[in-house]
Amino acid sequence: MTSAIQIDDLSYTHPGAELRALEHVSLAVPSGERIALLGPSGAGKTTLLTLLDGRLRGWRGRASVLGAPLNPDHPPARAQRPDTGFVFQEFALVERSSVLRNVLNGRLGRMSLVRAVLWRPTSRDLSLARAALADCGIADLVERRVDSLSGGQRQRVAIARCLAQEPRLILADEPVSNLDPARASETLTLVTGAARARGATVMFSSHQPDLARRFADRFVGMRDGRIVFDEAVDDLSEAATAELYRETVIPPGSGLRAVS
Amino acid sequence: MRSRGLGSFAVGSLIAGAILWSLLTTEVELSRLLSAGPRIADFLGRMVPPDPTVMNEIMKGSAETLRIAILGSLGAVILSVPLGILASETMVSPALFRPVRTLLALIRAVPLILVAMLMVGAVGLGPLPGIISVAIHATGMLAKFYAEAIDNVSRAPIAALESAGAGPMARLRHSIWPQMAPVVARDTIFRFELNLRESLILGIVGAGGIGFYIQTYVRSFQYDKAASVTLAVIVMVITIETINVALRRRFA
Repeated sequence: MTSAIQIDDLSYTHPGAELRALEHVSLAVPSGERIALLGPSGAGKTTLLTLLDGRLRGWRGRASVLGAPLNPDHPPARAQRPDTGFVFQEFALVERSSVLRNVLNGRLGRMSLVRAVLWRPTSRDLSLARAALADCGIADLVERRVDSLSGGQRQRVAIARCLAQEPRLILADEPVSNLDPARASETLTLVTGAARARGATVMFSSHQPDLARRFADRFVGMRDGRIVFDEAVDDLSEAATAELYRETVIPPGSGLRAVS
Repeated sequence: MRSRGLGSFAVGSLIAGAILWSLLTTEVELSRLLSAGPRIADFLGRMVPPDPTVMNEIMKGSAETLRIAILGSLGAVILSVPLGILASETMVSPALFRPVRTLLALIRAVPLILVAMLMVGAVGLGPLPGIISVAIHATGMLAKFYAEAIDNVSRAPIAALESAGAGPMARLRHSIWPQMAPVVARDTIFRFELNLRESLILGIVGAGGIGFYIQTYVRSFQYDKAASVTLAVIVMVITIETINVALRRRFA
């Protein structure tokens, strides 16, 4: 089996920050697997996902995604980018543009420069965008402007944009953090189902281990920039995942995080 | 607390001092105010009925004012695009945007009529100094607005397009431009309306437009003609304002 993600001894500190966001992180994800990235806020989940998406510079270690190595000093080659799709936590849509345009934006990486700038999507671009919209259950919203949509609808547009990109790896940053339980379950069904249908690998971060359990093959737990567990979902007890979210003790006035 | 009390006392004294100084050194003769009533009545009386025979002058003057406002606004847009980029916090370094912003603040601080007087001296009478003055004066505000439009562009959709593999041109076209365009359109329409209002008086210093006729008729005591021009100005301002409100709503 080929590997979708292969990272080795990654470390990263945000500019100006004292604590490391990632500390000696190593991970191997085989193609087609569904990974849930767990951990409290500030554990380094978003940083790791952003790095895998090729949008972070100045890290140390080795990383390759879908067989292509990432370079800490340069963005990935343009041809390589659309293979990795990203679902942003705050959706990151162009608010004043229509739903269809936002979804077609996901095709920009696969269009020629002339087509992209002059906005001449091919019929294949259009049919992929429409298929993604249908998969996300929002085919009836194509002409609506994004700023007229509800939060749940926006999220579906964001997912459709990612799917239209034809990614082989889908990275989703807290895709269900702002949703009620029914919608959260629906969204994860959509993302993991669409990934399965396309043979894509999925890695999503979440604060809800009980929910994530139903949609992931494997749990990777992070805390303070380190991976604290990495196991098949069935091998991990609920107590172990709960332990991850145990409150960190911060001594008053110290400004330092206590070693727990 | 104590220094705050002292502070408000100082501010209070300063304001009181300024008012006293103004009152005592300006020759405010209340007797003149008392005798003004009948004169104002006389003045207003001579304005009615407005003289309609000046229609030609009104049309000519209004058209010239409108042209000054249009060409002045066009000049301001042309100047404001590069200056707006140079004044933006997100596009250039502080070493560049700080002096550019200071320059824009200085331009804003100079009243249009003053710029116009200088320009009349430099290029002579007529609409040309008016157009140049409006272009320069409006740039002080418009370039600042453009810079803010650039700085208020949300970064997340740009990152999303980058993630999808869109190049810099495609990102500019499909993520930055759709966010900026309506704001830029609204600001430009707003500034055009101000330009039109402000250029009404340019004729007083010989910089072209309908202001010339107001000046001429008031100076020669032809109040009925001045009244007609004033009415025309009011109609013009209201018309443009109505059109602009409708236009701005389109870019909401």
